[in-house]
Amino acid sequence: MVDVQGLVDELVSKLRRRKVEGSRATARLTAELLRSVISQSKLPATNQPATLIDAVRGVGEKLIAANPIELAVGNIVRRVLHIIREEGHSNARDAVEGFRLSVGGDNDYIVEQDHLNLSVAAQSSLCRPSLHALLERSPDSATTYFTANSEDDSEEKSKSLDPNARSLEFRRKVISAVNDLIEDINTCHLVIAELAVEHIHHNEVILTFGHSRTVKEFLCAAKEKKRSFGVFVAEGAPKYQGHLLAKELAARGLQTTVITDSAVFAMISRVNMVIVGVHAVMANGGVIGPVGLNMVAFAAQKHAIPFVVVTGTHKLCPLYPNNPEVSLNEMRSPSEVLSFEEFSDCMDYRIGTGASQLHVVNPAFDYVPPELVSLFITDIGGYCPSYMYRLIADYYSSDDVVIQQKHAS
Amino acid sequence: MWWRSASFILDQRHVEDPPNDVASSSKEPDTLSTLSPPQTYSSFMAAADPFNPIPNPKISAYYQTRAAHTAVVTSDWLAQAQAAVGHHPDDSQAPQTQLLASPSASGKSFCVINEFNNWRKQPDLAEAVAAIRALAAVIRASEATTMMELEIELKKASDSLKSWDTTSISLTAGCDLFMRYVTRTSALEYEDFNSARSRLIERAEKFGEISCKARRIIAMLSQDFIFDGCTILVHGFSRVVLEVLKTAAQNKKLFRVFCTEGRPDRTGLRLSNELAKLDVPVKLLIDSAVAYTMDEVDMVFVGADGVVESGGIINMMGTYQIALVAHSMNKPVYVAAESYKFARLYPLDQKDMAPALRPIDFGVPIPSKVEVERSARDYTPPQYLTLLFTDLGVLTPSVVSDELIQLYL
Repeated sequence: MVDVQGLVDELVSKLRRRKVEGSRATARLTAELLRSVISQSKLPATNQPATLIDAVRGVGEKLIAANPIELAVGNIVRRVLHIIREEGHSNARDAVEGFRLSVGGDNDYIVEQDHLNLSVAAQSSLCRPSLHALLERSPDSATTYFTANSEDDSEEKSKSLDPNARSLEFRRKVISAVNDLIEDINTCHLVIAELAVEHIHHNEVILTFGHSRTVKEFLCAAKEKKRSFGVFVAEGAPKYQGHLLAKELAARGLQTTVITDSAVFAMISRVNMVIVGVHAVMANGGVIGPVGLNMVAFAAQKHAIPFVVVTGTHKLCPLYPNNPEVSLNEMRSPSEVLSFEEFSDCMDYRIGTGASQLHVVNPAFDYVPPELVSLFITDIGGYCPSYMYRLIADYYSSDDVVIQQKHAS
Repeated sequence: MWWRSASFILDQRHVEDPPNDVASSSKEPDTLSTLSPPQTYSSFMAAADPFNPIPNPKISAYYQTRAAHTAVVTSDWLAQAQAAVGHHPDDSQAPQTQLLASPSASGKSFCVINEFNNWRKQPDLAEAVAAIRALAAVIRASEATTMMELEIELKKASDSLKSWDTTSISLTAGCDLFMRYVTRTSALEYEDFNSARSRLIERAEKFGEISCKARRIIAMLSQDFIFDGCTILVHGFSRVVLEVLKTAAQNKKLFRVFCTEGRPDRTGLRLSNELAKLDVPVKLLIDSAVAYTMDEVDMVFVGADGVVESGGIINMMGTYQIALVAHSMNKPVYVAAESYKFARLYPLDQKDMAPALRPIDFGVPIPSKVEVERSARDYTPPQYLTLLFTDLGVLTPSVVSDELIQLYL
C-alpha cells in the first residue's frame, strides 16, 4: 500500500503542477494508477465491491482536486467505479444463479426471491435514475444487496463456486476491464480514423483548428484510402500548435494551408467541413476546446457548414456545464501572449499608482454550446449532441457523478 | 386547421352551448376557443358509445381516443371486464359535489376523493402527489382478491381523480404514471396475491415519498447553476422554483430576481412577497416589460404544469413568450419540474391541448361583442428550453421522450 500511496502522490503533484498535458495522457496515467490501486488494495472476503469503490473514490477525489479543469481525470475515475459496480453486479447474478442450482427448501426459496429482487433493484441503480427505475429501486438497495451477498457466502455449503475463488475472480475481472479501458484510450484514434472515409469525400476542403492527434489520424486515414482533399489549418494562437499539425500533414502528403485564427471567418465560405478535436465533451453535448474554437463554430454555423467533433469516449464527462467560460477555464501565463521584455514598462507595478494599466488575459479553453455542433464522431460511432446523455448513461453510474461533495458532507 | 373544413360547419349544427362559454359559441371560424368542437365530437361519441365509461366533455376527443388506443387497460376492455365481473353502480361522470353529496355512490370513489382532499389540504403538497398518495390508500383499503379486480378499482379511482380537474396535466400525468406502474410492475410475477399487494403498497408509498422529496432534489441540483451576482427572471408562482430560490438564498448566494406580474392571476405579486421574506432583492415587471429587461437577465427559471413528450413544457400563459425572447437574446431557459409531470401528450401547436379557460377581470365592463382570449396556459416547444431540472437529474429536453418511452413501452 505504501507503494501505491507514493504513486498517487506523484500523480497528484504532476497534475497540480500541470506537468501532464492533454486528456489522453492524463486519462492513461489515471487509469494505470487506479489499476495499481485495485490490484494492491486488500479486499475482505465479503463486501468486495464496496471496499474497492471506497478505495478508488478516495484516490479519485485527490486526483480531481489536484486539477479540476482536467475533466479526463474525473471521467476515468467514474469509468473505473462504474466497471467495479458492473462486475460486482454480474458477480452477484452468478452467485444467485449458483444458489438456485443448489437444492433448497422453503427457506431458501424466500431468500432467493429476495436476492433476485435486490439484485434487480441494485442493477437498476446502476443506470441513471429513470422513471421506471425510480419506482423499482429502494434507497438502501446498495447496502442490502451487499449484505445479501455476505449471507450468500455464509449460507452456502454445497455451492460449486468457492467464495475465495470468486473474490479473486472478481478482482481479476475488474483489472481486465480496466486494461480494456486503457487499451481503448490508447487506440481510440485508430478506431475513429476508420470512419474517416465515410465523412471525407473527393475534392473537399476541410478546416481544422490547432493540433489534435485524433484529427491528424483521421485525415491521414482518408488520405490512405486515396481521397484527395485539401486542409486549412487555423494556427491556434497563442500556442500556435496548428503549425505543428500543418507540418505533420504536409509530411504525409496532404495539401495544407495555414491561416491565422482571424482569417477563419474570411476563409470559411471556401470550406466544406470543419473537423476538430476537443478537450472534453459535456453531458449536454457542449464541448470544451482550445480557445478560439467558439469563433470557428460560429463561423461554420453562419455559413451552414457542418462542424464535426472527433473525440474518444474518455473525454465524455457526465457533468453539465454551468458558467463554463469561468468555472471550466484556466488562465495561462501572459508571457505566451506578450513578451515581458517589450512590455515591462506598462506592466510594471511600481509606476504611478502602483497598479498596471495593461492586463493580459490568456484563457486556455473555450466553450462551444451544443447547438453549434453538428456531429460527434467517437470510437463507438457517430452521434448528434442531443444523444450524448445516452452514452453517458452507458459508461457512468449516476451514483458516481458527484465525487467530492459526498465526502465533504 | 380542421375547424375551417366543411365538416366543422356540419358539426356546428350539433353544438349545444356550454353554460360557461356564452361569448364565443356564437362566432364560428374566427373563434379561437376550441371548447365547442371537441365537445361536439365527444358528445357525439358519448351518445354513440354507450359503453364509454368516461364521457368527459372537457378532455379533447383526440386525446380520449388516443388514451383509449394506447392505454394498456383500454376503456372498451374495461367495460367488458366490468360487465363480466358485475360492475359497481358508480360509472357515471358525476361532478365532485354530487359525488360527495350522494351517499349512494360506491364506497371506493368516495374514499378516493376524500382521501385526495385530505392530502391536498397540506399547503405544500402538489396535486399530483396528493393523488398518488390517495391511490396508494386505495390499494391499501381495497378488498379485492385478484390482481384484475385491484386494477379495475384503481382505474376507477384514478378516473374519478382525473375528472376532479380535467385540465390539470400534472394530475393526469401523476395518475397515469401510477396506473402504468401498477399494470406493468414485475410484482405481478408473485404467485401470492397478498404479497404482491403488499409489495405494491410499499412501492406506492415510496412513490409518494419520492414525489414529496422531489422538490428538494431539484433545488439541490439547480444550485450549481445560480452563481453570485446573477439575475434570474421568474414567471408564474411555482413552488418548485420557490424552493430553488429559497435554497439558494440559504446557501448565501447573492442574486436578484425579476418577477413578472403574471396577469390576471397576479402570481408575481405572491411570489415577490415570498421572496421579500427571504431578503432576496426582487423587482416586479409587468408582463410586457420582459423584452425590455431581458438583456439584464442572466437566466430564466420557470416551473411547469406538465412536461410533454417532445420535451416542451406546458405552463402558465406567457411562458412561451418569455422563452422566445430569451432564446433570441441567447439567455438560458431552465425548467424545474418533478418527474411525475411527464405526460403522454404531444401538442403540435398552441391549440392542440385541452383548453383551460379562466375568467379575466379587466376592471371595466367589456361589451359583449368583444371576445376575450381566456386560455390559462401555453406550450413552449423544446428548442427554446435549455435544461430541465427534475428529480431524475439534470436533463436536456431530448431526454424526456426517452424516459417516457422506457416507462410506457
